[in-house]
Amino acid sequence: MIIIGEKINGSIPVVAKAIAERDESLIRERAKMQADANATYIDCCASVEKNEVETLKWMIDQIQSVTDVPICIDSPSAQACVDAIPFCNKPGLINSVSMEGNKVETIFPVIADTEWECVALLCDDEGIPKSIERRMDVFNNIMEKAKEYRIAPSRLHIDPLVVTLSTDEEALLSFVECCHQIRKAYPDVHITSGLSNISFGLPMRKYINLPFMVLAINAGMDSAIVDPTNTDMLGVIYGAEALLGIDEYCLNYIEAYRDGLLTKKEL
Amino acid sequence: MSTYERISQFVVDGKEDDVINEINNALKAGEDATNIINKGLLEGMAIVGEKFAKSEMFVPEVLMASRSMNAGMDIVKPLISDSEIHNLGTVVIGTVKGDLHDIGKNLVVMMLESAGFKVVNLGVDTAKEEFVEKAKENNADIVAMSAMLTTTMAHMEDIIKACQDAGIEAKYMVGGAPLTPAYAERINAIYSADASTAALKAKEII
Repeated sequence: MIIIGEKINGSIPVVAKAIAERDESLIRERAKMQADANATYIDCCASVEKNEVETLKWMIDQIQSVTDVPICIDSPSAQACVDAIPFCNKPGLINSVSMEGNKVETIFPVIADTEWECVALLCDDEGIPKSIERRMDVFNNIMEKAKEYRIAPSRLHIDPLVVTLSTDEEALLSFVECCHQIRKAYPDVHITSGLSNISFGLPMRKYINLPFMVLAINAGMDSAIVDPTNTDMLGVIYGAEALLGIDEYCLNYIEAYRDGLLTKKEL
Repeated sequence: MSTYERISQFVVDGKEDDVINEINNALKAGEDATNIINKGLLEGMAIVGEKFAKSEMFVPEVLMASRSMNAGMDIVKPLISDSEIHNLGTVVIGTVKGDLHDIGKNLVVMMLESAGFKVVNLGVDTAKEEFVEKAKENNADIVAMSAMLTTTMAHMEDIIKACQDAGIEAKYMVGGAPLTPAYAERINAIYSADASTAALKAKEII
């Protein structure tokens, strides 16, 4: 499982405060914590009203001062994503493009002949498509654009955009169907999800989030934006992969246990 | 239990068919349509609002309750004249440009409607110009804005300014995950943390 660590995001109040006060230690600590928990990428989202690129630079500098885990540049502004690329020591992940506005045209040419990977959301100027058919249309449009810019499917992390179960009982079922169709068409493309949206509006959200993870992995999801220090979530990921035969001799599961990733830390 | 209490309870329980049956029986028995609305349907939604604010009820249950209330309204509203419909004021509401999140905003719409407001729902990804146009057209008492992203939240200030420049005399309400009371105060808007609070605050400022 490709784990995109979500703990450095300006929409989290303590992180927003650290960004506003330029508190280096909090950002560094969260970067280190996620690197130690084997995050594949460390997501970096400023979520500020002004000076976003400058803020991203400062955040990326802090992360890179403690770890060489690649950065996932996260911004709703495609231009900010592109502008932050030169701050990164090595190719990472862009979060994200979609078929909205000129996002693809802003980001794809810049990463065309690089090793940068990119998250692609299955929405367009009309929002999140209601039907699976329309969502797959958006998917096919994105794959066509990727081909045009010589971006191999294996560099894309498709986010089919899970909707909220509390307002749509078929939220998981639609997600799974999208995953199946995507996998069938492109065996090498990654499928990712921010996932916690699924449980909005319901009590004890972890009991929705954890089974969602299992069902999504079973449907072919191989990348996720999660908190890598959440031992329950990590345990479920490694356990599910072992059960589904995508972890030979259960070695990853055992190693995760040995590395202490599945046991809660005493604080 | 009176027939109004039963209607109210069926709304809280989200029992659409029972709401419809109870209202039809009440009307046959000569009960007043306005009372059915105020003491039955809206009273039920008021209880739902309180329970939701206290995390005793959850989003799917609120949706069921709202659906039941609306099924009841469809029966009784045609029986009374517009002037008899309790109207506290008009709220023009939308999720701002660049933002597609609508669950929270839709809950606010439900709570405002059940509190007795006329609500004009502009949906998601709403341009500044549309807020201005609809606020003018509907003579809005309140313009309410929702945003889930820090970056889209910044549009709120522009919308308020555009409304003021267009001579619209309304109060402004804001809500959504990135919003804080301090930010709301800075842009001269009123902040609410959840849908029930939004309805309570709307009643206060009207």
